[in-house]
Amino acid sequence: MSLAAFDRSPELVTAPLLTMRGITKTFDRTRALQGADFELREGEIHGLLGANGAGKSTLSKVISGHHAFDEGEMIYRGREIRLRGTRDALNIGIAIVMQETSLVPDLTVLENIFLPELGRPGRLNYGALRQRGEEILESLGQQDSLPFDWDVRRLSSAQKQLVEIAKALGVQAKLLIFDEPTASLSPGEVERLFDVMARLRDSGRGLVFVSHRLEEVFAITDRVTVLREGRTVMSARETGDLTQAELIRAMVGSELGAIYARNEEAPEIGGAIALEVKHISALPIVRDVSFSVRKGEILGLGGLVGAGRSETAEAIFGLRPRSGGEVLLDGKPLKGNSPKTAIRAGLGFVAEDRRTQNIIPDLSVKENLLIAHLGAHRGFFCGYGARAKRVDELLAKLGLPGDRLLDASMLNFSGGMQQKIIIARWLLLEPSVLILDEPTKGVDIGTRASIYAMLRDIAAEGVAVVVISSDFEELLGLSDRVVVVSDGRSIADLPSAMLDEEKLTLLAAPRTSMARNTALLNDLTREHGGAGFWALIEDDSLICLNAVVSDPALDPGFRAGEARRLSETRLPNALAQRHGAFVAEAGGGRTTLVVPMTSPRGHDLGWVGLTLKEGGTLPAPETIKSRIDTMAATL
Amino acid sequence: MATTLAVEPSSRPPFVKKLARRLEVRMILLAIAIAACLSVLSPYFLTHSNIFNMLDQSVVIGIIAVGMTFVILTGGIDLSVGSVAGLTGIILGLAVQQMPIVPAIAVAVAAGAFIGLISGLLINVFGLAAFVVTLGVMAIARSLAYIFSGQTAISNIPDSMQNIVYTSVFGIPSNVLFLLVLYALAWAYLTYTKGGRTIYAVGSNKEAARAAGLNTLFYSVLPYVLASALSAVAVTFSIAQLLSADPLMGNALELDAIAAVVIGGASLYGGRGSMIGTLIGVFIMVMIRNGLNLMGVSPFWQGTAIGTIIIVALLAERLVSSRVNR
Repeated sequence: MSLAAFDRSPELVTAPLLTMRGITKTFDRTRALQGADFELREGEIHGLLGANGAGKSTLSKVISGHHAFDEGEMIYRGREIRLRGTRDALNIGIAIVMQETSLVPDLTVLENIFLPELGRPGRLNYGALRQRGEEILESLGQQDSLPFDWDVRRLSSAQKQLVEIAKALGVQAKLLIFDEPTASLSPGEVERLFDVMARLRDSGRGLVFVSHRLEEVFAITDRVTVLREGRTVMSARETGDLTQAELIRAMVGSELGAIYARNEEAPEIGGAIALEVKHISALPIVRDVSFSVRKGEILGLGGLVGAGRSETAEAIFGLRPRSGGEVLLDGKPLKGNSPKTAIRAGLGFVAEDRRTQNIIPDLSVKENLLIAHLGAHRGFFCGYGARAKRVDELLAKLGLPGDRLLDASMLNFSGGMQQKIIIARWLLLEPSVLILDEPTKGVDIGTRASIYAMLRDIAAEGVAVVVISSDFEELLGLSDRVVVVSDGRSIADLPSAMLDEEKLTLLAAPRTSMARNTALLNDLTREHGGAGFWALIEDDSLICLNAVVSDPALDPGFRAGEARRLSETRLPNALAQRHGAFVAEAGGGRTTLVVPMTSPRGHDLGWVGLTLKEGGTLPAPETIKSRIDTMAATL
Repeated sequence: MATTLAVEPSSRPPFVKKLARRLEVRMILLAIAIAACLSVLSPYFLTHSNIFNMLDQSVVIGIIAVGMTFVILTGGIDLSVGSVAGLTGIILGLAVQQMPIVPAIAVAVAAGAFIGLISGLLINVFGLAAFVVTLGVMAIARSLAYIFSGQTAISNIPDSMQNIVYTSVFGIPSNVLFLLVLYALAWAYLTYTKGGRTIYAVGSNKEAARAAGLNTLFYSVLPYVLASALSAVAVTFSIAQLLSADPLMGNALELDAIAAVVIGGASLYGGRGSMIGTLIGVFIMVMIRNGLNLMGVSPFWQGTAIGTIIIVALLAERLVSSRVNR
C-alpha cells in the first residue's frame, strides 16, 4: 500500500521533548522492558515499532503514567520526572489516545472531551466549553464532524478516536501517544487521522505513533524507534533513510521469510467439510455470517477490530446466544446453547484474551491442560488418569518440558508458552475443529513461528482450523482461504493466494464506506440503466468489492466478494483496457466504462465500472469520473 | 516439532522453604504458637477435659465453615448462614413435635437447602450481588425464626436427641467424629472430583471455566445450597446439646465462619483455599475464645481481643508469605 507521504517541516526540529534511558519494567515474572531508550522531539511524529510482545505498548503506557517503571530515567522538557499515575501525566501535558477505552459511553461528546474538567469543583459553563470544543476541532481541521450532544455510545470508531484526540487537546497536551490508532479504521478514515496527526505535529507537539503496519509508518512518521524483547534495537532513525527490509530485520531480529513456511508436501485439502456455518447471527454484533471449513484446511477469518469475528466464534461455540442460523459439525447440527455441547461434539476454541478467557490462575499447569477434558468428561471423579499417557505424548510433541511444568502456576510462563499449553488443552480432546482467536497476541516473535508450525501440524492431522487475526500478514501467511467479515456479515470468501494486505484492507472496510459506494452505484445505474461495480484489478484477475445490477441482461458475471479471472467475466475487453472510455464487448449488446478510483491523497482504491446497453446514449466519461472522485473523498 | 522452549529457571528450594510455602503448614505453626501462649497464660488450657471441651465447641462453627469454604472458593459470600441456622433450628424444634427425630432433621435440612437454592439462583441467574442477597436472606430468616417460634424458645425437645451428641465411638464423641468425617469428605470432594475442581475453577476464572465446558451455573449455586443445608445440620447439634431451640440461635455465626475460612488461607476473591486450612482456622478461633474465657476476660472485651488477633494474624501471614514465596 502506498500512502502518500505527508509534507515534513524540517525547520521544526528542536530540542528533545522527552528522553527515556534504560527503562526496565517487570510484571510478575515477565520482563516487559529491559533497558529501553526512547527520544521524542517537539514537532515530530515518532514511530514506535516492534513485533507483538516487544514492549511497545508497555513503553507507551510508562510514558502515559499507566505503569511506573522499575529502573531508568525519564526526562520531560528538561526535567527528570517520575509519574505516579495518568493524572500526573495529564497535568504536565502527556496524553494517550487508546482504542475507545478511556471514554464514558453514556456521557455526551462534549462532556467526554472535557471529562478532566468535570472533576474540578465549581459550576461548569457549557457555553464556554462548547466554544472551546469548536476551537479544538477547528484547529484539527475537523469542524462540524462531531455532534457535541450525542452520547459517545452512538459514534463510529473513527469519531470516538477524534473525541479522544480532542480530549487530549482539552488539557493542552504537548505529547500525544497513539497506540495502534488505525486498527479499526477504514482506509479513508486512516487518511483523515493522518491529516489530523500532521496538523498536531505542525503545531509543535510531539507524537508517538505505535504500530506494526509498516506502510503507515512510512507514510506518516519522521523518525522511528524499534523495540525487540523489551530493548531498543533501533534508536530514532530518520524514516526517510530506512527501507522496509531494514525495519523488518530490526523488528524480527532475522530475515522473516521462513516464519510462515509451509510444508512442501502440503496435505490435500479435499477432505470432507468439518464445520459449516450457515447464516448465523448473534444480534446486535453478528448479523449474517456463513462459511465452511474442510478437514485439514486452515481458514482465516479477517476483518477490522470490532467487525464481529470474535463474536462469531463465540456464537458458534455456544458462549454467546445465537439469534438465528445454523451450525453443522461433521454434517450434524450443533445446538448453540453451551460450550459443553460444542466441546462434546468435537469443537475447540482458544479465546482471544489469555488471561481473562483461558487461564485459570489458581489451578496448576497440569489442571489447566486438563480443564477442557474436565468439561467434556462425564462422571463424578476427574478421570485424569485415563488421559495421563496422552498428556505425556502431547508435552513431548510440543516440546514442552515435562514433569517440572505440571505443578507450576501458569502465570510464571511467557505468553508463548501459555498459549501452547492452552492449545494443547484442546488437542488432548482430539477435536475435529479448532477455532483460535488471535493465537499470537502477546507472543514473542520466536514463539510465533513455532505456534504457526504447530497449527500446520494440527491441520495436517486432519483437524479443520479456523484462525482469527487482525494481523493481515499473519492471516494471509497462515491460512489457505480467507473469509472477510465486516460489520457482522461475511462478505468475501477467497483463497489467500489471491489476496495481499492491501486488498484485504479494502475488503474489510466498514460497511459505512461501502454504503456510500453502493449509493453511488445505485444512482448511476438508476440514471443510465445497466450495472455498476467496484473491483480491485491486478494482472489478469479481479476481486469484486461491490456490485449493483439493475438490468439482469447486463450482469457483469461476478458479485461482491467474488474473485474472477478477467477472461471469465462477461466484460473481458473493458476490464483489460481500462483507458477511460466506453469499451464494447465482442459479443455485442453491452459497453463498459472502467475508471480508477483514488482518494484525494492519491491512494489507489481500485476501479469503478459502469456497464450499459450498446447503442443507447452514453454519458460523458468525465462526468462519471468526477462523481466517483467526489464519492471517494468521503470514504 | 523441533523447537524447544526455555522455561524460566526454577531453582529448587530447600525442603524447609518448600514446606513453609504451604499455607497449611504455616497455619499449623500459628495454631501451635497460639496454643503455646495460652497454655502458659492458663494452666488449665492444655488439660484433657479442656481439649475435649474445645473440640466440642468446634463442631457447630466447624460445620458451618465447610459450607462457607465452598461459597468463598467460588468467589461468593454467604452472610445468611447464622440466621438460616436460627430458622432451621426452629423448624426442627416444631417438626420434632410432629414426627420422629430423623425425619424432622431431614425436614430442617431440606428447608435449609431450599433457602440456599433461592439465594444461589438469585445470585447466579439474576446476577445480584452475593453480599446483598444473603444480607436480605439473613434478615428474612431471622425474622421468620421469631414468627414461627412465637418469640420464645421451644424447649420440649425429646431427650433422645442427646444421643446425636453424646454417643461415644472409639472414645470420640459422635459430634466431633461427625465433624472430622465431614471435613475428610469435603476435602476429598474438592480434591478428587469433577465438581470440586470445577468449584476452584469457577472461583479462579469463571469465564475460562465456562469456555472449557464446565457447568459453571450448577457449581456456583451448589455451594449456597450446601452452606444453608449445613447450617441446619450445625444447629441440629446445638439443639441436641441444649434440648431447646431458640430463635436467636446462630446469631453472628456467619462472622466466625468467615473469619475461620479466611484465617485458613482462603481468598475472598475465590479460587484459593482448602478444607485443611479452614479446619485449622476453626481451631484457632475456638482456642482464642476458650483461652479468653479461661483467663476470665470480660465478654465485652472478647470481641476486641478476637478482632485484633485475627487482623494481626493475617497481617503477619501476609508478611511471612511474601518472604517465603519470593
